[in-house]
Amino acid sequence: MKMTLQLHSRRTVLAAAGLTLGLALTGCAGSGNPAGQNGTVELNFVFWGDANRAKVTEAALRVFEEKNPGVKVKTEYQDSGPYADKLATRFAGGNPPDVLAMANRSLLEYSQRGALADLKTLPELKLDAVPETVLSRGTVDGKLYGLATGVTTIGMVVNKTITDQAGVTIPDDKTWSWEDYAKFASEVTQKTGGKVYGAGYDVATETGPILLARQRGEDFYTKDNKLGVSEETIRDWFQYSVDLRKAGGYPPAGFFEQIGGSPAQSYLAKGTVASQIIPINNFKGYNDAVEGEVVLLRIPGETTGERRGYSADPTMLWSVAAKSKHPKEAAKLVDFLTNDSDGAGHTLTQRGVPINPDVAESITSKLSKDDKTFVDMMAAIQQDELPEAYVYPKGASVVADTLKQLTTEVEFGRISPADAAKTFLEKSNAAINK
Amino acid sequence: MSVLTKQPKTLPAGPPADPPGRGSRKVSSRKRQRSGYLFLLPWFIGMLFTVIPFFASLYLAFTDYNLFNQPAWVGMANFEAMFEDPRLWQSLKVTFIYTFVSVPISLAAALAVALVLNRGIRGLPIYRSVYYLPSLLGGSVAIVMLWRYIFGNDGIVNSFLGLFGIQGPAWVTDPEFALSTLIVLNVWTFGSPMVIFLAGLRQVPSMYYEAASIDGASKWRQFRSITIPLISPIIFFNLIMQLIGSFQTFTQGYVMSGGTGGPADSTLFYNLYLYQKGFTEFEMGYASAMAWVLLMIIAIFTAINFIASKFWVFYDN
Repeated sequence: MKMTLQLHSRRTVLAAAGLTLGLALTGCAGSGNPAGQNGTVELNFVFWGDANRAKVTEAALRVFEEKNPGVKVKTEYQDSGPYADKLATRFAGGNPPDVLAMANRSLLEYSQRGALADLKTLPELKLDAVPETVLSRGTVDGKLYGLATGVTTIGMVVNKTITDQAGVTIPDDKTWSWEDYAKFASEVTQKTGGKVYGAGYDVATETGPILLARQRGEDFYTKDNKLGVSEETIRDWFQYSVDLRKAGGYPPAGFFEQIGGSPAQSYLAKGTVASQIIPINNFKGYNDAVEGEVVLLRIPGETTGERRGYSADPTMLWSVAAKSKHPKEAAKLVDFLTNDSDGAGHTLTQRGVPINPDVAESITSKLSKDDKTFVDMMAAIQQDELPEAYVYPKGASVVADTLKQLTTEVEFGRISPADAAKTFLEKSNAAINK
Repeated sequence: MSVLTKQPKTLPAGPPADPPGRGSRKVSSRKRQRSGYLFLLPWFIGMLFTVIPFFASLYLAFTDYNLFNQPAWVGMANFEAMFEDPRLWQSLKVTFIYTFVSVPISLAAALAVALVLNRGIRGLPIYRSVYYLPSLLGGSVAIVMLWRYIFGNDGIVNSFLGLFGIQGPAWVTDPEFALSTLIVLNVWTFGSPMVIFLAGLRQVPSMYYEAASIDGASKWRQFRSITIPLISPIIFFNLIMQLIGSFQTFTQGYVMSGGTGGPADSTLFYNLYLYQKGFTEFEMGYASAMAWVLLMIIAIFTAINFIASKFWVFYDN
């Protein structure tokens, strides 16, 4: 009797131990960062984007692995929304990726909490060829927390096939004003019999009002990381869309069910709007997705305002986690992404015009017609003297959300543009000054 | 049902008769206990993952914690800040409207369909599955996406209305309608309370109805005086479960609005706001405090229900 009891209990203990061990093992397998065999270092590299971006990035990374034996790169990518959520969770959980793509609006949220490494302290990353204006967009208190993946800006894309059929002439984009654009958009709607709306730009994305503010001599985000835009400018930004909707140039309230997403999902591709504002490094994507010919134009009001609104902005930023276990290799990877022409031969202008001029030069011959259009426009814009632009402050993502929310309120007439502007400033200032 | 649940309580109460094989019986019961605990082991291990965050969040609720730095004790500041937070009140409003509209409607629908199915129609298992299926799917991302399309500008609903010359509203993007679209989705998932109602209805002895028929009671009278009282414990159970479930709604709001709670915060559920606070604004202390307030709200409503149940729930013991 006693024997069986002991046996039983021993078995129990063994079973329990086995179970616990099993759990522990799965636990181990789950949390990454294996040192690997033969001293191989595995870097975790994350970014947002679509399948095409992932494909060219992977091709570039294979080149990196060839050039750096002993370093393996494991990538993960997602759409920008879920990416931001997951990134926050991983940092919070103490398991950040080594190298990551950072959005302009999130840079200070992370860096001011000590989550990112100062890239200037990593000698493997060579910054000699990078212009100071580019470095400044990732620098906070003299420390470089994010390095632009490339530069881009916003532009207007117009489906020329539609406007030609409708018999509407596209105004000269070098000199057009916001009024010209409104007139053009309303004419398209009218001449297509309401089948296509002339304008379909997204009111809720902050890059629009940022540019408008600059045209008016204001800095949306100032040098000392505050909100500098006036209530009047925000009010006008809202009012412009309200007026354009009334004139018929802009779709009715509730028309846009999905904002953002890939070019293929866009309303321009669906053929229900004739023009849209996009980050112009995506121009090729839009021209590929849209049936018909798409032309790339400058944003209206560049010559009719107080000063130029354009700036060459980081498309996104490369950052290295402060807690990365392999900062040396991580820096090597960022260096490769920035300064290596062979790698850039795969990624081309996927994340904007390369910030190293030599690299940018080296890929010119490989560019498709549409990508060349983008690069040429970027160069042409930068030939003029542009006012300086600054990093987004901490709280910029709350500002973006606030803009989104108020845009809907204005869209459905639940609040006047003037009241929306007032609320926008209150909420944004509260988030930034917190 | 209630008779059955009472039984085990009375069993061990009686003094044991001290039978001859006492020792062996004791061992076997200990053995049985041991294997019982062994089977429970995964649950105990799993519980660690619940209990630790549970108490951690209680501590964090009284701290200022941004996920990156060490939490700093701030006392009641998070709870005080809640009173001044308009979005918190908006999220409470959304959650309460959602709960108090969709729960009664879905319970009524569940009971009505259960009554119909209980009349012994052919192919009952098929019908039961057809109605039950949505409740398994309703909270899933795919169904919410599908809902977006059904109620979208070019979706089935507006195309159908268009047949009658009605220009349907923008169900998903108009702040006036977005929440009602989600309420319809929640009502649609009435299958799980329905299955429970159906089981309850089967327990009602048919002799009561026979006796009532002989006395000349109408169907409505029978429903009110026999069915409702006898299944009142089940109504009570379903009510509590549905209330708790709908206070905790997250997925529907998150997917429908792409995580923003939009349009214009009209689908900003309490839990969605909590998530935003914790993971997009990095205010984990505040988010933890919100979680505890939600727990309190649910506890209060459950308590009110339990107190009120004394007046309408009928146990036949």
